[in-house]
Amino acid sequence: MSEEAVLFGEMKSLVGIVTDPPEGGGNDHRPAIILLNPGMVHRVGPGRIYVTIARKLAAMGFVVLRFDLSGIGDSAVRHDNLPFDKSAVRETQNAMDFLQATRGLGHFILMGICSGARISLQAACCDPRVIGALPINLPMPDDGEGNPDQTDRRAAYYYWRVAIHNLDSWLKFVTGRADYRQILRSLQFWAKSRLPSQRKASPESLKFETNVRLLASRGVQLAFICAADDSPLETLREAVSGVLKESRMPDDARIEIMPRTDHTFSSLSDQERLLKKICELIDAIVAASSYARFGQFDVVVSPERSGKLAPGRRIRQVASRIAGWID
Amino acid sequence: MRTVLPLYFGSPEKPLFGCYHEPRANLRKCAVVICQPIGHEYINCHRALRQLAVRLCDAGFPVFRFDYYGCGDSSGNAEEGSIPQWVEDASTAITEARRRTGLVQVCLIGLRLGGALSVMIGARRGDLESLVLWDPVVNGKSYFEGLLLLQKEMLRLRSKPSRAQKPQSYMDVLGFPFSDFLRAELEKINLLAIGRKPAKNVLVIQSDEAGKNSGFEDHLSHTEAHLQYQRFDAPPIWLPTATGSLLVPSQVLQAVVSWTCRTCS
Repeated sequence: MSEEAVLFGEMKSLVGIVTDPPEGGGNDHRPAIILLNPGMVHRVGPGRIYVTIARKLAAMGFVVLRFDLSGIGDSAVRHDNLPFDKSAVRETQNAMDFLQATRGLGHFILMGICSGARISLQAACCDPRVIGALPINLPMPDDGEGNPDQTDRRAAYYYWRVAIHNLDSWLKFVTGRADYRQILRSLQFWAKSRLPSQRKASPESLKFETNVRLLASRGVQLAFICAADDSPLETLREAVSGVLKESRMPDDARIEIMPRTDHTFSSLSDQERLLKKICELIDAIVAASSYARFGQFDVVVSPERSGKLAPGRRIRQVASRIAGWID
Repeated sequence: MRTVLPLYFGSPEKPLFGCYHEPRANLRKCAVVICQPIGHEYINCHRALRQLAVRLCDAGFPVFRFDYYGCGDSSGNAEEGSIPQWVEDASTAITEARRRTGLVQVCLIGLRLGGALSVMIGARRGDLESLVLWDPVVNGKSYFEGLLLLQKEMLRLRSKPSRAQKPQSYMDVLGFPFSDFLRAELEKINLLAIGRKPAKNVLVIQSDEAGKNSGFEDHLSHTEAHLQYQRFDAPPIWLPTATGSLLVPSQVLQAVVSWTCRTCS
């Protein structure tokens, strides 16, 4: 495994690190993997997780590029008036151009946490070279601060995921020191969110569903990873499962929920489990897309496997179902 | 447009990552090397230190930022970090900055643990022109206790993480591993025990309430260094924020640039 610091892009102002597989460990049929900034955090990622991911995937034979979009990390600010969503997609395409020119790789898997997840989907929609996307903790379109549901959603998340397991919170509850009005509101929110008629699809949500549908129709492999403690999980599940049911995709292979994990994977055990999950999903994406593109399996076996899943069989099942669907 | 040159330097066995900001005009006679904090503080401060490098570069200083071994983009795993290694890394960065610029004078800027490391390096080498210490860690034991408190607070606000599958020989502090060895080394840090002047000119920036009564100002005034002390009502940029935003305290950056311009012509 080796790491190279690179400058690329229209103005040679984007800073990135290419992690190459060990000598002779690469495979031209394998796609390159591009990691996109998690929010404003630079290409190292929270807890340095992007470095760990890149090194692990390089050890599995993939070329990995993690870079800073302009205005983030070490990359310079753009001097045009392009909105961030557009410039981010264009710069992701610049990253693909760079790897194509320097490494001769023509297929890509995009991956990112938070806003990096959103950009991975947007870029996948715009570029046919993308064969897979792995959005992690994707912020859902109606997740903005201005949304009146947001406070209730956060409160509901806190009560059902954190306070319910906390002895102090129960003591407050039984001794009259809890915010009963807030608890009641979060209960109402939770009940309402389970009634289909109460769900309001924003234009952004509809656009998201359209994009997922577009990618599915193009055969782009999508695998969402969601931290269970991340509040928009229900919204994502609703938005994606509709599209998946409609397209007869195996939904259990598409949204991976990581229990007891927060938005930025802020503990080492979270990071360890995330890394393992990423390796499994990348294997599955590559296997499925290899089958679709070349009519053969090229299953990459990652060294660490959990006993819970039987990945080899699972990959074959998923790959054949997807290939059948594409045909 | 080349604003920064990302590169690897140092030994081929343990390459370190650095960013070299090369000024276009008004070249000064002093190179600036920035020593970053570690762990989550490194992530939270990266944006501010990058902005500081850009401002210093605009003022004519060649600036070199780098990541310690096992940190950021440098080689090595996070649990391999150690104080002697990082002190060595900072010295390697100074050598690299001198080699690239051809300048002899060096100003070292250190934030938090980077500040403590800068004092150690300066006192050991004795050849630094100037030193900027931005909320330096004066006492390693208090610093580590602060990290543990922060970790405890973080755990209070999220569901309990599942146990690691492998037995761990290190502590988890906000997603960064701290080995027992590193912890012991950190707890030994006491800048008040360093008697030698770390540089000819020293600026101490203090914005952290906790650091105001450390006695460090008094201690430095007894060395032969030409000392300036500035206090700011600025946020502790190394701490995580509720929204995940990264803070850039403009007034502190301006103060550092102004002082460096005055001190290092």
